[in-house]
Formats: sequence, structure tokens, C-alpha cells
Amino acid sequence: MANVLEVNGLTKEYKKGVRAANEVSFSVKEGEIFALIGPNGAGKTTTIRMISTLITPTSGDALVGGYSVVKQPDKVRECITYLPDEAGAYKTMTGNGYLKFMAGLFAKDKAEQEMFVNRAQQMCGLGDRLNEKIGGYSRGMIRKLLLSRAVMTAPKLAIMDEATSGLDVINALDIRRTIKNLAREQGMSFLLSSHNMLEIEYVSDRVGIITGGNLLVTGTIDELKQKYNAENLEEVFELVVNTK
Amino acid sequence: MKFRNLLKKELSELITPQAIFSMIFTMVLLIFMGQIMGSAMEEGFDTSEINICNMDNTEFTEKVLSQLEEKGSKPNMVTISGEDYAAELERLDLNSVIVIPEGFADSILVDKKPAELRYVSELGIGFSGTMSSVSASDSVSAILDTATDEILLQTYGMNEDEIARIKEPVQTVEFTTFSGKTANISAMSLSSVLMMQSMIAPFVIFFLLMMASQMIMTAISTEKIDKTLETLLSAPVPRITVLMAKLVAAVIVALLNALSMMIGFFFYMTGMMGNVTDMVQTETTAVAEATGALNIAEAMNALGLSLGVGEYLLFGLQLFVTVAIGLAISLILGALAEDAKSVQNLTMPIMIMVMIPFFITMFMNVNEMSMGIKAVMYIIPFTHSYLAINNLMAGNMLLFWGGFVYQIIFFAVCMFFAVRIFTTDKIFTMTGALSEMFKKQQQPKAKK
Ligand SMILES: Nc1ncnc2c1ncn2[C@@H]1O[C@H](COP(=O)(O)OP(=O)(O)OP(=O)(O)O)[C@@H](O)[C@H]1O
Ligand SMILES: [Mg+2]
Repeated sequence: MANVLEVNGLTKEYKKGVRAANEVSFSVKEGEIFALIGPNGAGKTTTIRMISTLITPTSGDALVGGYSVVKQPDKVRECITYLPDEAGAYKTMTGNGYLKFMAGLFAKDKAEQEMFVNRAQQMCGLGDRLNEKIGGYSRGMIRKLLLSRAVMTAPKLAIMDEATSGLDVINALDIRRTIKNLAREQGMSFLLSSHNMLEIEYVSDRVGIITGGNLLVTGTIDELKQKYNAENLEEVFELVVNTK
Repeated sequence: MKFRNLLKKELSELITPQAIFSMIFTMVLLIFMGQIMGSAMEEGFDTSEINICNMDNTEFTEKVLSQLEEKGSKPNMVTISGEDYAAELERLDLNSVIVIPEGFADSILVDKKPAELRYVSELGIGFSGTMSSVSASDSVSAILDTATDEILLQTYGMNEDEIARIKEPVQTVEFTTFSGKTANISAMSLSSVLMMQSMIAPFVIFFLLMMASQMIMTAISTEKIDKTLETLLSAPVPRITVLMAKLVAAVIVALLNALSMMIGFFFYMTGMMGNVTDMVQTETTAVAEATGALNIAEAMNALGLSLGVGEYLLFGLQLFVTVAIGLAISLILGALAEDAKSVQNLTMPIMIMVMIPFFITMFMNVNEMSMGIKAVMYIIPFTHSYLAINNLMAGNMLLFWGGFVYQIIFFAVCMFFAVRIFTTDKIFTMTGALSEMFKKQQQPKAKK
């Protein structure tokens, strides 16, 4: 299977000499769900933002669908969608208005725009409340709206920073299931980040453990459990971070 | 198509029902206030009603009062007892009264001494109050004037023609000069008209700048805080398109606001000044026939004060560049915002830059200031905006173009930085660096 994402030595220094991400390298295959896990301030968001072409790497590069985030960011943006951590939406718009607006930025023509909107409407499960202003939505509703927005265009790679943060158990489960289905049935690839190990263990195919800007290990969950002789991902995480 | 989509979104965010309401509300309020101010002034200037207490009751005073009536005043005769004027005014429910004491005629006609005339008025506070005390003393001079006529008529046996010649032996013909040109008109009648012109422009500029910069700062900072900007900039749209949609929307809304404000302010000024200008104008036309003085429109042309089409276009262009500078600065400031609180602090620099030259140019002549202050004033780009209309009227084209070119350069520099911030990752990394800088500065203070 081809690699949708190939990250080679991505490094970011916000301040000279301090590396928020240090030589990070990994890859994500087609239809695969990859998760970056690590404590607060580990460099997850920094790495993700570089891949999303929002910030430029100090050194290194990443290829999305074969396009370089440094040299061809315009091409990369056509292959990805990005869902930021704790993101909001335009409060004066209705849910439908927001979906239509965002679809307009990705679609080539009106027909495609309508198709995207329809897909999101069915996926988000908000029903008639999509006609209401986003200003009156709860956090969970906004997250669902944004999530359906992020997958409605069926991107090669959907990038989600803390996909289920701020959601209750039922909603989080719902979203994990959606992500898994999209990967299995439509062959979409996902790059997720989280510090919720349980969630990651359920949803992702492969994980990378990052701390202090360094990506320490990558592998499937079973591989890692065997390698560290651990019961679950949380133990793996503890061992990796402590033996460093 | 993507630009239209973005522009539509920006416009729908800026043109909310509240925004439309406040736009119409300001306009109506201005028009309404103009009406109120106008009628207050009219009342103030109205000299036809005078309260008079005639304690003299001689043939002479009766004659003076009937003369006064012939001249168009309506003396309201009242009776006052004693010298507790405050109580008497309150009892009669009056604001002012003119008291002609007993022996008024005798003093003039028999003793040939200046007679005493008392004018009692309640101190007026506020706009209409001040105006009415001014006009009340006008009615005193009206009495004095008629009294003089009676004296000349009765004691010196003069006829009306002779009296007129003695009272006005000289006729003043007023000339006004402005930037090297001379016109046959009184300066006062012109300045009341000019005041209107030279006040509308700065007010419109002031509100326009405030509104436009507030708008773009809120637009950028809320997008940053809600992280909708990250979503937007990771979509397949050139960043410059996103930026342009924001700017174009802000310009459109700012111009809509300017238009409604200009209409409102125009009616405000005409409502307020209309009566005053009318009075000045009738006065001038009476004299004009005798002296060949020009009417106001003619005089404005003769002095080069009226703006031609070309000059209006230049002013419009200037206004546009002014708004563009405001937007560019606000773009940069908005990009620095981290949370709702920091937005408040970040509006300060632009507020100061807009406000200081607004007040200074309104009350002082920048060109007559000391070199240092003048330089500071001219460095602030908006000073040139406030001075533009005066420079155009005065034909100071060198100053106008100098300011204009400076503003364009200023705009280009600001826009260069704004575009750089938006097209690089500065828009996301700048704030972090800035807040760390602040933390470092605050730490030593905290230790003390
Ligand atoms: N704009 C910025 N300017 C300067 N430093 C930054 C900036 N953004 C992040 N950092 C620093 O980079 C490091 C990594 O931050 P990052 O946001 O990537 O962590 P994270 O793994 O996403 O953490 P979390 O789980 O809390 O979201 C942190 O030390 C952070 O302080
Ligand atoms: Mg993060």
C-alpha cells in the first residue's frame, strides 16, 4: 500500500535553540489511522500544524500524497482537511450555512458542493438543529459539526488534533466509530493526536509516542505491547517515557 | 467563486441586524439632534418676546414701547413689586424681565442724565439657556435704540431721515481675504457656512476609521481565538484570497457606514446651522444691495473655497487611502490578539493614532506649531486625512500631495508587513513569541 503521508525529520524551533519538534519521522499508509500520543507540550500540535501547512518547518519535510508541505503547500491543501484542537465555528452562521461555506472552499462546482453538504448533514446527526445558529450549539454539537465538515470532502488525509476532546462518553464513542468506518469503507487515512490512551487503543492502527519534541517509537499497538511486555497502551507509554 | 464565497461570508458576519440597526439609529439620531439643536437656537435667537415692567408710566416710555412694537417685538407687560427679583421671576414664571424704573423719562428729558434700566435674568445653564440670556440683552439694546430715537425726536426735534443719518453716518463694507484672494463679503457669514463643511469631513473620517479598524480587528482576532482561521488557512484557498475577502468586506461596510453617517451629519448640521445661516444671510442681502456685496455661493467661488469635481474626487481618494491604512494597521494588531482581553488592549494604539490628530486639528493650526510637535503630528498618518479638506480648499496642493504620498508609502509598508504576517506562519507563531516576551518583562517586576 502506498504511503499517504511521509514525514522526514520535521523540526520546528519557535525560539532559536529550543526544538518544539525534533527530527520527527513517520509514515501513514492509505486507509490507516495513525495517532500521535504524548503529554501536554510534547509537540503534537506543532507537528500536526507543520503537516497541515499552517506553520513552516525549521528543517525537514513531509510529503502528503507525494507533495511537499514546504515546496507545494497549495497542492497539499487539496489533499487534506484539518480539525484544530478546541476549534469553534462562525457563531452567526447556521450549521447548514457553515457546511455550505466550507464546502464551497473545497468543491470544484455547485454539484460537488451540494454533494459535500449532503454527506456532512447525514454524518453529523444534528438533524433539524442544523438550521439553527451555531452560537446556540453545545460544545459536543460544534465538535460533531466540525468533524463531519472535516470528512465530507473525503480527503486523502484527515488531520485531527484531539478529535474527541470535550465530548462525553457516548459522543466520543460515536465519533471513534465514524472515524473507523470511514477508514475501513472509504480508505480514508487519519492522523490523530490525543493523550487519551484508551481511545487511541480502540481507534488507531498504529501509534507514535512523542515527548519533548522527540518521536520515541512507532508501531502497531500489538507490536508495542509485545515489545515492552505491557498489558495496555498506557503501560507502554509509561515505560517508553520513563526509560528515555 | 471561492473569493465570492469568502466575501459573502465576511459580509454576512459584518452586516448583522445589530449593525444595520446601529447604522440607521446613528443616522436618525443625528438628524433628530440637528432638529432639536436648531429649534433651541431659534428660540434663543428669538427676540420678539420681551417681558417688560414699566414703572415709569410716562408718555415717553409709552412711546418707546409702542415704537418697539412697531419694530416687530411683542413686549409682554408685567408688574413687579419690590426688589426680590428672584421671587418675582418665580411668581410670574419668567426667565427674564426688563424693569423701567420710576423717573426713567425725567432723568433723560429733565435732568439730562443717563437713566437707569434694569435687566434681570435667570442664569441659563446648557445650550438653549445660554442662547436665551444672550438674546435677552439684545432686547435691552432694542429698547435703548428706540429710546435714543425718541430723545432725538423729542428734545432735538429731528426728523426720521436726520436720525437715520446720525445713527449710521458710516456704512461698513466688509471684505474677506483667503489664501491670496479677496471677495466682497463679511467673514462672519462665510465662517458659519465653512464651519459646517470643515466639521463634516473630520467627523466622517474619525468614525470611519474607528469603525473599520474595530471591524477588521474583531474579524481577525475572533477567527484566531476560535481557531476558525486555522481551518480556513488549511483549506485549498490562497491565503491572499482570504485576506483580500476580509479587506474588501471591511471597506464595503465602512463605506456604507460613512454614507449613512454623512447623510445624518449633513442633516444635523443643516438643522442646527440653517437658522443661523439664514439670519446672517438676510442681514447680508440687505446690505448687499447697497454695497454690491456677493452672496455666499458667489463669495465661496471668488475665494476658491468651493470644491470642484476634481477636488472632491481627490478628497474621496484620500479618504479611501485613509481607511486602507486603518485597515492595514488593524490587520497587524488583530493578528497579535490571543484572547478577547488582549483585543481590548490592542485597539489602543490605533485609537490614539486616530483621536489625537482629530482633536488637535480641530482646535489648533498644525502649521503654526513648533517644529518638534509639527513633525510628530505629520508622522501620524491620519493627521494628513484631517487636514486634507482644508488644504484642498486653501489650494495648498503641495501639502495635500505631500501628505497623500506619505500616506501611500505608509500604507504600502503596513500592507507589506500585514501580507507577510498572513502568508507566512507568523500569524500563528507571532503571538507566542510576544506573550513570552511580556512574561519575561513582567517577571523582574513581580520579584520586587
Ligand atoms: N506559537 C508558539 N510560540 C512559541 N512556542 C510555542 C508556540 N506554540 C507551541 N509552543 C511550544 O512548543 C512546545 C510544544 O507545543 P505543542 O502545542 O506542540 O504541544 P502539544 O503536544 O500539542 O501539547 P497539548 O497536549 O497540551 O496540546 C511547547 O513547549 C509550547 O510551549
Ligand atoms: Mg496540542
